[in-house]
Amino acid sequence: MQVKQRMQVKFSYLDRQFANVDDYLADIREVALSGDFTLGAAVTEFERRFAQLCKMPYAVGVNSGTDALILSMKMLGIGAGDEVITTTNTFIATVGAIAMTGATPVFVDNDEGYTINPSLIEAAITPRTKAIVPVHLTGNVADMPAIMEIAKKHNLLVVEDACQCITGTRDGKIAGSWGEAVGFSLHPLKNLNVWGDGGIIVTRSEDLYQKLRLFRNHGLVNRDEVAIFGQNSRLDAVQAAIGNRLIDQTEFITNTRIANAKLLDEGLADLAEFVHIPPREANVKHVYHLYVIRVERRDELLGYLQENGVEAKIHYPIPVHLQKAAGHLGYKEGDFPVAEKDSKVMLTLPAHQHLRSDEIEYTIDCIHSFYRK
Amino acid sequence: MQTLVDSIPYVNLPEQHAPLKSDILAAVSDILDSGQFILGERVAEFERQFAQMCGVRYAVGVNSGTDALIFALKALGIRSGDEVITAPNSFIASASCIAVLGAKPVFVDVRDDYNIDPDKIAAAITAKTKAILPVHLTGRPCEMDPILELATEKGLSVVEDAAQAVMAEYKGRKVGSFGKIGCFSLHPLKTLNACGDGGVLTTDDAELYDQLKIMRNIGLRTRDDCVMWSHNSRLDAMQAAILLVKLRYLQDWTQQRRQNARYYQSRLAGIPQVQVPQENENETCVYHTFVIQADRRDELRQFLSARGIGSSVHYPVPIHLSTAGQGLGYPAGSFPVTERQASRILSLPVYQGLTEAQLERVCQAIEDFYK
Repeated sequence: MQVKQRMQVKFSYLDRQFANVDDYLADIREVALSGDFTLGAAVTEFERRFAQLCKMPYAVGVNSGTDALILSMKMLGIGAGDEVITTTNTFIATVGAIAMTGATPVFVDNDEGYTINPSLIEAAITPRTKAIVPVHLTGNVADMPAIMEIAKKHNLLVVEDACQCITGTRDGKIAGSWGEAVGFSLHPLKNLNVWGDGGIIVTRSEDLYQKLRLFRNHGLVNRDEVAIFGQNSRLDAVQAAIGNRLIDQTEFITNTRIANAKLLDEGLADLAEFVHIPPREANVKHVYHLYVIRVERRDELLGYLQENGVEAKIHYPIPVHLQKAAGHLGYKEGDFPVAEKDSKVMLTLPAHQHLRSDEIEYTIDCIHSFYRK
Repeated sequence: MQTLVDSIPYVNLPEQHAPLKSDILAAVSDILDSGQFILGERVAEFERQFAQMCGVRYAVGVNSGTDALIFALKALGIRSGDEVITAPNSFIASASCIAVLGAKPVFVDVRDDYNIDPDKIAAAITAKTKAILPVHLTGRPCEMDPILELATEKGLSVVEDAAQAVMAEYKGRKVGSFGKIGCFSLHPLKTLNACGDGGVLTTDDAELYDQLKIMRNIGLRTRDDCVMWSHNSRLDAMQAAILLVKLRYLQDWTQQRRQNARYYQSRLAGIPQVQVPQENENETCVYHTFVIQADRRDELRQFLSARGIGSSVHYPVPIHLSTAGQGLGYPAGSFPVTERQASRILSLPVYQGLTEAQLERVCQAIEDFYK
């Protein structure tokens, strides 16, 4: 099979997303002229709208998705001596966040949908376990009903890592509405993105909300009174202004990514012996921050796609328990067979909202020509 | 009647940004065209220029001055059970950076010039002391020679809190170049200010530099190689691009602030109820704030306010007396100089762009108040 004329299918869509930039710059100009660069109206407005988007009462803007997780866990009292259960197949920040609170990360293998396997959680619980941090990896929603049941039974906190999963749902319930707190990322490559680092925490607890607002701003009750020693982790007003413009597009972004994923699923269906598409659950709205499949001869295919202009990637090639940083945790190769195998076969294809249909077709064609040549 | 036009605000960011607006928006627009929002060339260029300006080999951009302090202490191995010596009259972050690491802030009183008293540090050192964190408050360099000497003698690290003191000099050397690590804030209210939170660390030590770069980026040495657990605390590329525009003006802005300070120093010298900060030999102060000590401070502040003149207090509650600081076990009276200053200090507008007529109005108002 002959590949059509070479195309460039980029993984990053920022140039297309912001091709028409004047409106954004006008918003930034307004912030600049107000001099209101720290917290203030734009941040409050973004928090209000983001909470509304998640159908939750409270949202707190912070400096990054990583900080969203760290601050949530710290304000829930997680710290040294505690254990926190999460998956090894995740971005390093999930685990780094646990370690930054002083707690010990404890790993559990993932399921076919790249999220934590609930049936393996109980075996990892010890008297020191304080919380579970399920990760809605790739934009898929972890099996929260099962996880919440375990948490309830063992009296554990749940902090959702929804950094890759804005507006995903399971059984019609939105990601981030199960746990005590949930961290979202607004990093430039996330579905809802700003122009630098940014994150936001959502919660239904007013008490936690107030603590988080204090802690992200030096513990200051007002300019001169300090209630607790805190950190500085605020969502910039300039970034909130960008977020306020983009948040209206969340539905478009999500729907387009879902449609693109469907085109890829269908286009690759006939390659079932080489390309394994993860189960698509009918009761889950997967928002496809990442479109990740399992493929035969992954590294060869990756090289082939890149040669042909398709910017495929791997999320992530090294499971966290095998990273150098995890050395002291005492895990070894073979501990998490699903995650370890996945790290060798997973491949991420571009599925973002600014892809054209011919680019998706080209991607599908390239994969066909690789396996059928 | 005073109108808004006549008022002299304590700070005036819109006025600062008006002439820079097109350059700033162009710099932001360039970032958009590049798509490089996280780290990348603009951040590296800012770090290069900032290091050069401070006379050090390396600089690392982070999310805030607070994070700069936390990372500096962490990189030097400060942890639970350790003690770090600092001043109690600083912004809360100078102490919270120690506390959030689980270490204990140990305070030493300041001198009349608001900076830590080097003669009192030795008495505060215990077997648990790991570092000294002098704060160059108001933009005045601390007296570094005795501090560094003591640190060497006792085997302690020195981390400079230079959040308010970019470009300040002690014996002809820039702050941020004395300690193992220097920490700067780029907060909107600082002289070199981002349009949002930002911070930067300086060091001459290649090993610390490598470690700090990994620490600010979630422990990643490369995209896929995580060598330590850490935070995400990066200076945004967009802020770096804005800061590069502003760096061109920093020297000029600093000169203007020094000139404004000199005006206050000579014009207020004859008012006995007011104590005006003077520059010591061996110092170049940059006047992030111009802090006088005044009799009947609160009344004076109200009087100024009624004349449309903004002022501020940095800081009304010493850290050891704040709610958060109460667990540290310092009762009122522990630091008499700091505590006495807290009720007398007043920060006058000193930003670049103030006219001589405006400075004169401030001075005239102070004179009128005490008449």
